[in-house]
Parts: sequence; structure tokens; C-alpha cells
Amino acid sequence: MAASRTALALLLFAPLAFFAAFFLAPMAVVAISSVTTDGDTLTFAHYARILLDEYHWDVLWVTFRIALMTTLICMLVGFPLAWYLVRIVRWRTWRRICVILVIVPLFTSNIVRSFGWMVLLGRTGLVNQALMTLGLTERPIRFLGTETGILIGLVYILVPFVVLAVGNALATIDNSYEEASADLGVGPARTFWFVTLPLCLPGAVSGAIIVFALAVSAYVTPALLSGGQITVFSMLIFQQYSSVFDFHYGAALSITLLVLTLVLVGIAGRIGDAGRRAA
Amino acid sequence: MQPLLSLEAVSKHFAGHQALRDVELGVSAGEFVALLGPSGCGKTTLLRCIAGFLIPESGRIRIEGEDITAAPPYRRPLNTVFQSYALFPHMSVADNVAYGPRRAGASRREAQGRAREALALVGLGEMGARLPRALSGGQQQRVALARAIVNRPKLLLLDEPLSALDLKLRRRMQIELKHIQEKLGIAFIFVTHDQEEAMAMADRIVVMHAGRIEQVGAPADIYRAPATRFVAEFVGEPNLIPATPAGPGRARLAFAGLELAVPEGTSCAMVRPEDVVLVEGAAAPDLATATGVVEDVVAIGSVTTVFVRCGDLVLKVARLGMSGADLEPGATVAVGLRPAGLHFIAG
Repeated sequence: MAASRTALALLLFAPLAFFAAFFLAPMAVVAISSVTTDGDTLTFAHYARILLDEYHWDVLWVTFRIALMTTLICMLVGFPLAWYLVRIVRWRTWRRICVILVIVPLFTSNIVRSFGWMVLLGRTGLVNQALMTLGLTERPIRFLGTETGILIGLVYILVPFVVLAVGNALATIDNSYEEASADLGVGPARTFWFVTLPLCLPGAVSGAIIVFALAVSAYVTPALLSGGQITVFSMLIFQQYSSVFDFHYGAALSITLLVLTLVLVGIAGRIGDAGRRAA
Repeated sequence: MQPLLSLEAVSKHFAGHQALRDVELGVSAGEFVALLGPSGCGKTTLLRCIAGFLIPESGRIRIEGEDITAAPPYRRPLNTVFQSYALFPHMSVADNVAYGPRRAGASRREAQGRAREALALVGLGEMGARLPRALSGGQQQRVALARAIVNRPKLLLLDEPLSALDLKLRRRMQIELKHIQEKLGIAFIFVTHDQEEAMAMADRIVVMHAGRIEQVGAPADIYRAPATRFVAEFVGEPNLIPATPAGPGRARLAFAGLELAVPEGTSCAMVRPEDVVLVEGAAAPDLATATGVVEDVVAIGSVTTVFVRCGDLVLKVARLGMSGADLEPGATVAVGLRPAGLHFIAG
């Protein structure tokens, strides 16, 4: 009995300790340093500096706009892809190849993939050459240093998360729900809208939240594809830590981004719940 | 009169396995038909072909003369109660039932009104606001039924709807389903592998085996006069007595040396256990009797079955109640059967 109680305590303690050491402690360090000065006095001056400066609000707006657009486009691209993989592909080998194609990019470094897009999206890159050859544009389109370029890079990197989340949700929906809908005289399009979509909404919302969180905090892709023309919030944080060495101000920036992201994710979660109830 | 549903030479196969072979069947309006057979006999495949979830490779399916063989499920004038119920988990019970009329263009008020009516009919008038997962299995089953009859189809397909319920509830639902069917005048096609269920509810039973229809008939006819050995064994308990030809149109049974006039091709005679009696004292003159040894006695309360060995043959003798339950294995008894209770099976 005593032995099993010790074992139980250990079992509870191990994950708790892991969580504390690798999540809570660093967070606490950042949070504390965001409200102190080098002399260890309590101050909210860093937050005041951020929130009262219009420049930060501009950067925040750009950051969240890019993240929201990324999420939207990822959903629009990822949902049909997931549908294709789960519902249309019947040949197993081909489905497996598709899943591998979706997942393999996740094994490569963000930096490598973003550099790849720099090459592809450049003035004389493959994308512009193709567009000009097809006669879709006369002059090369500027992608690098624009939000479009960053969007392309982020969507490419993050779309697998949507495909996996939505695909998983779609695969677990029992076929008989859609059959029951058809049996009650409802055609495929409306069956999708009234039955399939509400049933995979939880999966879609979780996919969207993952994408949004990663897009809002993305550094490498925006940094490489912005060409110094566009600043997102993570770049400001990086500057403070790596160039200015103002850890307190950097910490305050981090916490600001974290809180705002959590608020938005919370709202999205509520919308997801409400959608499920209303449908 | 034109049948409500007619199946003409319907065939279907899956990856080298013939699921349905030339199935022919007519169902009249208001009729209760049970598709009965062991698992894998094709009864669910046939139901799914009628519902439109499967398209047969050959043959025709007509409803009131109109060919619907290839019509999609949402264009067929019939509804289905699914084995898993398939209630939409994200909708309340009332919304589940109102789904059909609502999507067909009824106003929200009207659809909800019809849903209430249908729910009241199945005895769930108060449950409309709940979610399906908050209901018991039996209640979910009733919601599935209400959802399927809310549009008042002429034909309702039921795919083993009671198989997930426990025995007591199942018996009650059998009676209730039959009452609802009679009240609404909807034709039911009811898939089941339970012969008692089929006999308790159906006007007509369709016995299926290996993708083919073995026999179609009223429950009493199927029970008394099974067309094949398979039907005899699947529906009720048969005593099968081998018959050997003994001259033209006659055969000798492997029981008491009985020699009878039989139809051409008879290979065995069947007699139900309740038509076999244990003879005490002087035998009645119309009985063919033989002596045998009791092998086993199984008493389940309402019926006691005595297994009696007569030579190579083991006969099941059914007696009402607990009479005969005190017989000891090894006891010698006289067994009698009425030649009138014999039914001859060919092949």
C-alpha cells in the first residue's frame, strides 16, 4: 500500500515537475522580468511604453492581420485537401503518398523552406517566370518584402496542421449520419452544410487555433520573406533580446503578444462552441 | 393491384462475393415484411439497395411502378431506421425529428409541430429539448423511429432496429412497433436475424440465405411448411427424420418403420417438437410410436424439451410448462408422432 502510494505520488510528480521546469519556470522568468528593472524594482513602465506607442499598435495590427489571413487561407486550402484525402481517395497507396507529402515538409527546417520561397518568389524566380510565360503578368510581381510573400510562406508551412486536424475530424464522422440525412430527403450540398460541417467543426477550430498561434508568433518566415520592409511583433521581441539587450522590455513585448493571442484564441474557442450548439 | 415496392431480379456483388442473386419480391401498401436470415445472407445489402445507399448491378427496383433503381437516396419516397440510430449528435431530439420537414421547406414552426406530433406518437413527447446522447438506448431507438416517420412515408425500412436493446425492452418494442405500423398504415420492411422477432411482428417473412430468397410466406406457413432444410433449421426447432424411397411415391422414415406416401424427391420429413409426444399407457391409434431413451432434459420454465434417442435419431419433444422436467436421463420412454404433423422436404 505504502509502495503504491509512493508510486502514485511519483507518477503525479513527474509530469508536474516536467511541466514546472519547462513551461512554468521560463514563463515566470519572462513575466517577472517584464515588470522589473535592472535594479529589481517593480515597474510597469515597459508596458506603458508599449501600449502608449502607436508604432507598437501598428506592428500588432500587421502581425494579427497576417496571422488571421494565414489562418483563413490555410482553412480554405486545408479543408478541401483534407476532404480529398479522407473522402475521395480510395486507393490506399495514393492516400499514403499524399499524407507523406503533407507531413514531410514538417521535418525540414523553417529556415530552409523560407529560403526556398525566397528563391521561388524573387524577381526572376520560378513563380514570376511562370506567370510571365503564361502571360498572366507583363512585369514581375513583387512578392518579397510584401505581406503577400509572407502569407505564401506561412500558409505553405502551416497548412499541414489544418489538413491533419480536419482530416482526423472527417475520418471519425460516422458514415451513417450523412446517410440518415440523405435518407430524409436532403441532397449532398445541404447535408454537408447541416451535418458534416458542424460535426467536424471542433477539429477545424482546433486546427485554426494551432495555425493562428504559430502564425502570430512566427519569426523566421516573416523575417526572411519581409526583406526588411515589414515588421511583425516577433521581430521586435527578437531585436530587444539579441541586439538591444533590453531583456525587460523584450519580456514585456512577449507577454503583450501572449496575452493578446490568448484573448483571440479564447474568443475563437467560444465561437466554436456556440457554433456547435447552434447548428 | 400494383405492389408498392417491387424488386425484379436484383443482383449485387462485392469484390468477388455475390451478395444478392436475382432477388424477386413484391411488397404491398401497409404490409409488414420481415427479411430474415443469418448474418451475411444479404438482407442488409438488400435493404441498402432499396434505400439507395447501394446500386445493384442488375435488376430493377420500382416503387409504385416508378423505376428508382439508380435514384439517389434523397430522391426516394421512403425512410430508414438505422441499426446505429444515426441520430445527429449536434442537434436536440426535436431538431433531429424536425430535420426532414425543415429541410424540405417547412417553416420552423410547422416542422417543430410535426416533430412534436411524431415524438408523442412514440411516447417521447417531453424529450424534445434533450440531446440524443442524454437518452437511453430504447429512447434513442424511439427518436430514430419518430424521425423516420415524421414525413409519413409509404414505406419504412428498419435495419435490425431492436438488436441493441435488452430482451425485455425488445419484446415490448416489438409489440409497440407493430401497433405504430398498424396505426399509420405504413409498409414496413424489417431486417432481423431473430426468427421469433420476425414471427411476432411480420405479416410475411422473407427467409434469405447466401444472397437468395429461400422462402416467402406468412409466419405460420413458414413455420409449418418450410420449403427447404435451411428454412426448417433457421426458423424454429425442427426434428428432421431421414426418408428413404420405398417404391413409387412412397418412402420409409427412420422412425418406427413408418412408410408413407410422399411427394416426389422427398429426402426427409420434418416434425416440430410440439407435434411429438411422450406416450404414457395405451397409445392413441393415430400415433406412430417407438421406444427411446431419454438423453437430456432442458426445462426453461414455459417449455420443457426432452431429447429422446430412438436408434440413430435424436428427437426433440416439447412439453408445456415443467411437465417432464423430472425425467431422468437414461429412462426408457415411448415416443409418438402424428403423421399429420409431418412435412416433407426435398433435396
